[in-house]
Amino acid sequence: MPKDITLTIDGQTVTAPAGTLVVDAAKRIGINIPVFCYHPKLEPVGMCRMCLVEIGRPVIDRTTNNPVFEADGKPKIQFGPKLETACTTPISEGMVVVGLSDKVKAARKDVLEFLLTSHPLDCPICDKGGECPLQNQTLEYGSADSRFLLDEKMRLSKHVPLGDLIFLDRERCIQCARCVRFQTEIVDDPVIGFYNRGRKLEIITDSQPGFDSIFSGNTTDICPVGALTTADFRFGARPWEMNNAASLCTHCPVGCNTTINVRREAKTGGNVSIKRIMPRQNETVNEIWMCDKGRFAYHFADSPDRLKNPLIRKGSELFQTTWTEALSAASEKIKQAGSGLVTLASGRLTNEDIYNLRKLTETQGGTFIGYSRMAGGEIVNRFGMLPGSNLGDLGKDSVIVVVSSDLHEEAPIWWLRVREAVKRGAVLISISIRPTRLDKIAAKTLRVEPGREALAVDAILTGDMADIVKQAKHLLVFYGSDGLGRKATGQLAAACARLLETSGHARRINSGLIPVWERGNTQGLWDMGAHPADQIVERIASARVLLVAGADPANDDPMMERALEKTEFLIVQDLFATATARKADIVFPVLAFTEREGTYTSGERRVQRFYPAVPAPEGLKADYEIAAEMGAELGLALESSAASLVFQQLAAEIPQYSGLTYPLLAKTSDQWPIVGRPDVYFGGTSYANRQGLGIHLPLLPLEDFEIPSGDLDMSLHPDAHELAVYPVTRLLDRGITVTTSPLLASRLAQADLFIHPATARKMFLNADMQVMLPVDGAAYPVRIVLDETVPEGAALIPRSAGVPIHEPQVAQVAPPVGDHASRVRS
Amino acid sequence: MNEFFVQNTEAIQKILSAYPAGNKRPAVMPLLYLAQRTNGFIQKKTLDEIAEILEITPTEVASIVGFYTLYHDEPGGRYHLQVCTDLPCALRGADRFLQDLCDNLGIKVGETTADGLITIEEVKCLAGCHHAPLFQVQGDGDISYHEDQTVDAAMQLIAELKKKAAEREGTNA
Repeated sequence: MPKDITLTIDGQTVTAPAGTLVVDAAKRIGINIPVFCYHPKLEPVGMCRMCLVEIGRPVIDRTTNNPVFEADGKPKIQFGPKLETACTTPISEGMVVVGLSDKVKAARKDVLEFLLTSHPLDCPICDKGGECPLQNQTLEYGSADSRFLLDEKMRLSKHVPLGDLIFLDRERCIQCARCVRFQTEIVDDPVIGFYNRGRKLEIITDSQPGFDSIFSGNTTDICPVGALTTADFRFGARPWEMNNAASLCTHCPVGCNTTINVRREAKTGGNVSIKRIMPRQNETVNEIWMCDKGRFAYHFADSPDRLKNPLIRKGSELFQTTWTEALSAASEKIKQAGSGLVTLASGRLTNEDIYNLRKLTETQGGTFIGYSRMAGGEIVNRFGMLPGSNLGDLGKDSVIVVVSSDLHEEAPIWWLRVREAVKRGAVLISISIRPTRLDKIAAKTLRVEPGREALAVDAILTGDMADIVKQAKHLLVFYGSDGLGRKATGQLAAACARLLETSGHARRINSGLIPVWERGNTQGLWDMGAHPADQIVERIASARVLLVAGADPANDDPMMERALEKTEFLIVQDLFATATARKADIVFPVLAFTEREGTYTSGERRVQRFYPAVPAPEGLKADYEIAAEMGAELGLALESSAASLVFQQLAAEIPQYSGLTYPLLAKTSDQWPIVGRPDVYFGGTSYANRQGLGIHLPLLPLEDFEIPSGDLDMSLHPDAHELAVYPVTRLLDRGITVTTSPLLASRLAQADLFIHPATARKMFLNADMQVMLPVDGAAYPVRIVLDETVPEGAALIPRSAGVPIHEPQVAQVAPPVGDHASRVRS
Repeated sequence: MNEFFVQNTEAIQKILSAYPAGNKRPAVMPLLYLAQRTNGFIQKKTLDEIAEILEITPTEVASIVGFYTLYHDEPGGRYHLQVCTDLPCALRGADRFLQDLCDNLGIKVGETTADGLITIEEVKCLAGCHHAPLFQVQGDGDISYHEDQTVDAAMQLIAELKKKAAEREGTNA
């Protein structure tokens, strides 16, 4: 720990660790030194000069090295001849900072006068107006008049699209470089920069496509003026007109805390609509950041294609019906089915939904299955992170292993936080079948043959990194499903647990296993007792009643699609008329996460609570409600009136959740840096987190648990004329939660088959050739893309991009014959 | 294909060898200089190619081109005549000098003479305030300073530059 230093700021004494900057020390005692370019998450640059203060330091007698005292016994203080920038000056012992003198006030006034010489003052039409640091600080510290000539104001372009997502207003930019520094320092995407200098300085992007970064939205949060705005929110609403609700991002297992801004508006017939989603500070989860998928891919919730009424099958058609009819028909069938009930629940559902669905299924003696393409949850529950762990605490003495996950694509904020840990000194070992962005920051990159990932993990403690891993204080292991099927991810999780146990890191703080699940609440699925099952196709086909919630098996796998034809009676709970819903006998329309409350459990096993942002539309119910109401018809007492009551029941039953309540999940504590206060120190657009930081779950006991063993070699062995096809995950796939946000359309993954040029030569394939890829008895058109990073003999294909492939498989691709544009059934 | 690299392989490898392996970024300055010397200005395509060679983003290269007034990303005259009009120079009549020079040539600041030879530019500090009005001439891969200038002296120099250019064309032809 650095030693503490005591100083005086505006007459108040403050003690802070050595290295603290004056501006932050002042913040700790509630003194606001105004800033524009300074940002507590970025390196200080002292560019805007807004934070000028008078700084005095004790006079030291050079002959004796002792402080010199005044006649009254106080230390003699020498003030510098000029003002100093509080954002670049570290505190020192006995320092005296004056931020309230006339000299300082005059300096702030002058800096603002200069900043405003070329600022358009179009606050009445500016998106930032109302939450703008420049506006606020001009009111507080600036002058009402300018001595500069209005005619000499710069006139610059006001609608510059930096890309599809972010617009730049060149006139409003005050050249603080927060955006440029964020892109360079925090996310390593230096795709925006300064061009020219002085008054002509402007922000440019030269990347293809423009502003090519999956974190671009964050720059609009930290921009201290209205220069950067999102295409989604631009001209959407004034900040003071909007209400906000605390929510969570549902796209990946990171569980980013978010704020949803809503407004009632005429455009949507007087309904409350979502205007924007922004990060909500949680320093143990997403800090103050989120990725563009989380920020922009929320329009599935306000899509006009959402289901609005229960549907019931009469003959070959689905017809609208009432809840009463649909519920009684469904429960009647469930009653008849008895143990023939099979329920598939996915990690899109909340803990409350999954719990009620499980109760409903179990009391009928049915089979409850977690619909997930990854395994290993029972291992994670015993080898995960301990409560109190924080990725932000990893640094020197830490080793991070990432195996089979392209974190940048699958869980962007974890990539960002791993990168920060590496910057603080952590050692990263990256194990994968192909290069990912982790390689650039990895101390050791292990390129393994597909299917041999678990063997590589087992070999760590006998390899050249063994000593570093064993001696590390913390060992954190991420495992994912890059190129892996369900069984292989289970073997991988087991290998990772063995690594933690053998190296002595298991069940220690800041160590453990983090699964990169494919859904936001897959962890909750495991915790609530829904495990993936084998022979799922057979189970679907033989189910007397199949209840599917939050999943679309018909779209995911042609074998499941065919199996669904054989299912006796199919009940679906979903937002949309999915391929599975279209086959259903009864369809229940459900509430989106924005319209209800509930909890999700992140991959780090943090239970977090989200709140309703918009009123629940008439005629829709939450998944847990539907399960409870079906149960009620069967004489079951399940909670249907409030998610919090369901949570009470599940907390009473599930040991890890024991003692947890909604009020506990809503607790917050002080966080640093301070954001979201009225002085908008951090930026205009972040709300303070007053609605909950979530609670980290304890681990399950180890007793009676053995790490499963089994064949670790999951390699495929294609013949000479075949390809081993491995599915990989892309951030922006073609799932319905993404395609409903048209802003992202140009960046979605395509149905492309990536192969090495040498493989292509052997198989007589060329770049851009359209071929048919057979998957489980169906065939799909894909485009060949040559990529030297793909292992030879292998082919990579993005998941959910048009081809329903989730398990690695051997395939013989066929050059096109005749019309290949449409899907061909074999 | 990286045309810039193919056409200047030897020169580029020599430049890269001056920097530690694994840190190619600092070579951006000499590479841009090489590009400008070869083509007279830095084309967008060349800028992207330099980014590729150095494994940095085109935006970073563009920022550097934008920061330095001596890099040009638009075609101009063969000779760039750059006059400083910062405050100390202006106090010695540099702004008046620039205006008169432009009037004499019949062009505006930033424009190029009809024969495509001379571009007049206004620049920030050339570090010679006490010899203002002054300008530098950039062209044919050289930079030369011309201090304590009058319009007559400048016009005479321009005549010499035109003659030099004509001679070079002659030898090349």
